[in-house]
Amino acid sequence: MLRFLVRRTLGAIVILLLISAFTFFLFYAVPRDPALLACGKNCDSESVALIRHNMGLDDPIPVQYWEYMSGIVTGRDFAAGSCPAPCLGYSFDDSAPVWDTLVDRFPTTLSLALGGGAVFLTVGLGAGLIAAWKRGTWVDKTFSSLSLVLSSMQIYFVGPLVLALLVYNNEILGQPSYVPFTENPVEWFSGLLIPWCVLSVIFTANYTRMARATMIEQLQEEHVRMARAKGMSGRTVFFRYAWRGSLIPIVTIFGVDMGSLFGGAIITEATFALPGLGTLAVDSVQELDLPMTMGVMLFAATMIVIFNIIVDATYALIDPRVRLS
Amino acid sequence: MLSLIYTRRLRAAAVGLSVGALVLTGCSSGGGGGPEASEDSPSESAPEQAQIAFADAKASTGPAPEVPGATPGGTIRVLQRDSYSHLDPAQIYVSDEMSLATLIHRGLTGYRMNEDGTYAVVGDLATDSGQVSDGGRTWTYRLKDGIKWQDGTPITAQDVRHTFERQFAPFLTSGPTFVQQWLAGVNGAEFRNLLKDGPYQGKHLGNDVLETPNDSTVVFHFKDPQPDLPFALAMAGYSVVPKAKDTKQKYDRAPVASGPYKIADFKANKSMTLVKNPEWDPKTDVIRHQYVDKFAITFNHQYEDSSKRLLSDSGENKTAISFNNSVDAASLPKVLGDAEAKKRTVSGFQPYVGQFAMNMDRLKDKRVREAIAYALPIKSVLQPYGGPPSGQLAGGLISPTQAGYQKDYDPYDKLKKPEGDPARAKKVLEEAGKVGTKLTFAYVNTPEGQQYSVSVASALEKAGFDVQRKDLPADTYYDRIGTVDNGYDIYHHSWGADWPSASTVIPPLFDGRAIADGAKNYSHVNDPKINSEIDRIKKITDQKKAADAWFELNKYILEDVLPAVPTYYFKHVQLHGSKVGGVVFSDVVNGVDPTRLYVVR
Repeated sequence: MLRFLVRRTLGAIVILLLISAFTFFLFYAVPRDPALLACGKNCDSESVALIRHNMGLDDPIPVQYWEYMSGIVTGRDFAAGSCPAPCLGYSFDDSAPVWDTLVDRFPTTLSLALGGGAVFLTVGLGAGLIAAWKRGTWVDKTFSSLSLVLSSMQIYFVGPLVLALLVYNNEILGQPSYVPFTENPVEWFSGLLIPWCVLSVIFTANYTRMARATMIEQLQEEHVRMARAKGMSGRTVFFRYAWRGSLIPIVTIFGVDMGSLFGGAIITEATFALPGLGTLAVDSVQELDLPMTMGVMLFAATMIVIFNIIVDATYALIDPRVRLS
Repeated sequence: MLSLIYTRRLRAAAVGLSVGALVLTGCSSGGGGGPEASEDSPSESAPEQAQIAFADAKASTGPAPEVPGATPGGTIRVLQRDSYSHLDPAQIYVSDEMSLATLIHRGLTGYRMNEDGTYAVVGDLATDSGQVSDGGRTWTYRLKDGIKWQDGTPITAQDVRHTFERQFAPFLTSGPTFVQQWLAGVNGAEFRNLLKDGPYQGKHLGNDVLETPNDSTVVFHFKDPQPDLPFALAMAGYSVVPKAKDTKQKYDRAPVASGPYKIADFKANKSMTLVKNPEWDPKTDVIRHQYVDKFAITFNHQYEDSSKRLLSDSGENKTAISFNNSVDAASLPKVLGDAEAKKRTVSGFQPYVGQFAMNMDRLKDKRVREAIAYALPIKSVLQPYGGPPSGQLAGGLISPTQAGYQKDYDPYDKLKKPEGDPARAKKVLEEAGKVGTKLTFAYVNTPEGQQYSVSVASALEKAGFDVQRKDLPADTYYDRIGTVDNGYDIYHHSWGADWPSASTVIPPLFDGRAIADGAKNYSHVNDPKINSEIDRIKKITDQKKAADAWFELNKYILEDVLPAVPTYYFKHVQLHGSKVGGVVFSDVVNGVDPTRLYVVR
């Protein structure tokens, strides 16, 4: 297991390095000048040059990349302000180190992802299992068609609809917002309830369909048939034999989904104006805040890579046939 | 609007309307329609610009008259789209930061809205709007008694000196540069040579430039007359910074308040909480109030989001407002069509004037430019941005937010025929023997730009031009049209004033000595008379005479030279919750005036 983890971590670092280089050169190659954006209204070429220097943009791009990467370990000093390690860049738009903002924004995204994940996993798997259990009945058909309808919906459609029905017009629930769990757990829960449910709409459908399909497949496996033939109860066969076998594909997509969500649930966060990594990403792109864009990209990529490792490690726990060599 | 470089949002840049985060603007008369505006219909800026008075000591003495019906206490939620990039006054030059600055920062002068809705430049920290001598070259300010920083220490002339000296430091690059250039007696960035590192290496401005003979007196000495100084000093960018608490770069995140509110908490892109500054003394302030206990500001509210929340008027949205968000174009009909919601709106002018620049390097024949002027359908340019609530069709270059505006000025009958007059245009073109002239028309590739480009191109074709449309990406639009050798004949842009005088509009747009890549003379007009008139009018110390002279120059530019065709003066509509009182549109910050707000009990 240890060897596996070390090897995967080293691989992950290489992947992240490649992603960082790719992102850096891509974004810094855009034909836009962040210095111009920061230059006041009565800007002239000398002022732009000064700002470019303040931002460290007057060096060749490879040099800038090297300084960026070494800054992660050593920290950096800009004319506009200092950026202690781990320095993922200094946002000239926020006048603050990127890392500080990421750390500040992450709890929102984490809360959204964990709560949303809990909802869509529970509801999705539950509905899928029931559909598989009641295969061919009206229950199965209802759940299957409902999941098809839901998976065709989009957050930017469901979100405003739910807001209009439950918040604006009837005031059944309060305006969605993020309050830190440590500050007020009740407000944390009530503020995120709508975003969790709306975020779950599209995910739930996937899990329902996936759980139903894999369970049905598993129920037709020979070891399951054997268990049945031996006279085991339907419930034992369903949950102990078929269920375990169907977990692997579910864990895989759950890991990938969570990895992406931890990097920012862009549409959900934007729909409910939640200050998470997703809105940060959108804002930084719109405001040409390259250091922030880089930071969010790297953070999101790291999350996806970490979750991939977790998923792979989990396989071994679920299925002893999988070796981690 | 303006140029891209003044917008913090790329997509907003060329879209034009209501994209917050723009440059500070001047202010104007007429304004918000007075304190009761929000009680009935949306307030409208007055159609005619009254001269803004430079107030004396009596008119500058606090406290400010109570807002009728105002009660203290409560929290107002503020829904903003953009986070604040800068809190250091010397870095503030965009309108949302200016709105915030009215609550936390104070300068030597400021704008006060009078009971009748007109404005005056009053002494804010200073006892009056300034004592001028030496033909406009020397300005003297005395500080009021009892003015303090949020830590209780007094604000002194040394702080004011420090405020202006630090503006020369190389890390301060985003704020206005007017006063620095005037002090140095130069145009452009070489003003920094006067005090290269600011005051941080022990060097200071000489007494021949900036004099502080005692703790409460500040004297500015300029090489040329600077009659607009009280306007310039009222910009948020010239608010004061304490010498003892200047943390240089770090000050941008944690400034020391001198206004009625101080920052309790700020998370960029997320939230900000403002609480009362107990050291602020209302007796020293004729502009601001301190009714609300707390402003809870959150960011990332797109216009659609804030409009929906405020329109619903549900729960906590009742006590919510946005300082700068406009009602989005899609919600406008609903908001203005609903009598209850309409009561909760205010609207007014933004300082921007939309105009088509005609490239004088390529369109050398004035008759051709005249034909274009007659042909252009200016109404079709405004329509995609929301129609009349979003702008007023323009005849001249000087907007209703500036002194010298004349409502009926319409040299090319654009107000009479806002859809254009292709027949007349064709006649002009035929007389010039230029029918079939090729025109490259560049437009911004946004839904709005695509929409207006079709009607503009078709009107020009009807007039006899051979039009080639060229779509430019929104994020580089202003860079492309701002290149001298751009290869286009006509293109739309907008520009806003810094204060209610055309002195910050006509020179940057039409001074022929300023033609350069990235400069704002988009039509590349270089006319000796315009250039010399700019120099002459800038020195006129009598405001009324200066306003008249700017208007005459605007006439000369449009009628005799014709480098540009004005399209519309920008406006926007804002909405607030039913429990927010004292809502007035301020022409100073081009939006809700945050200093008068209270929670309705």
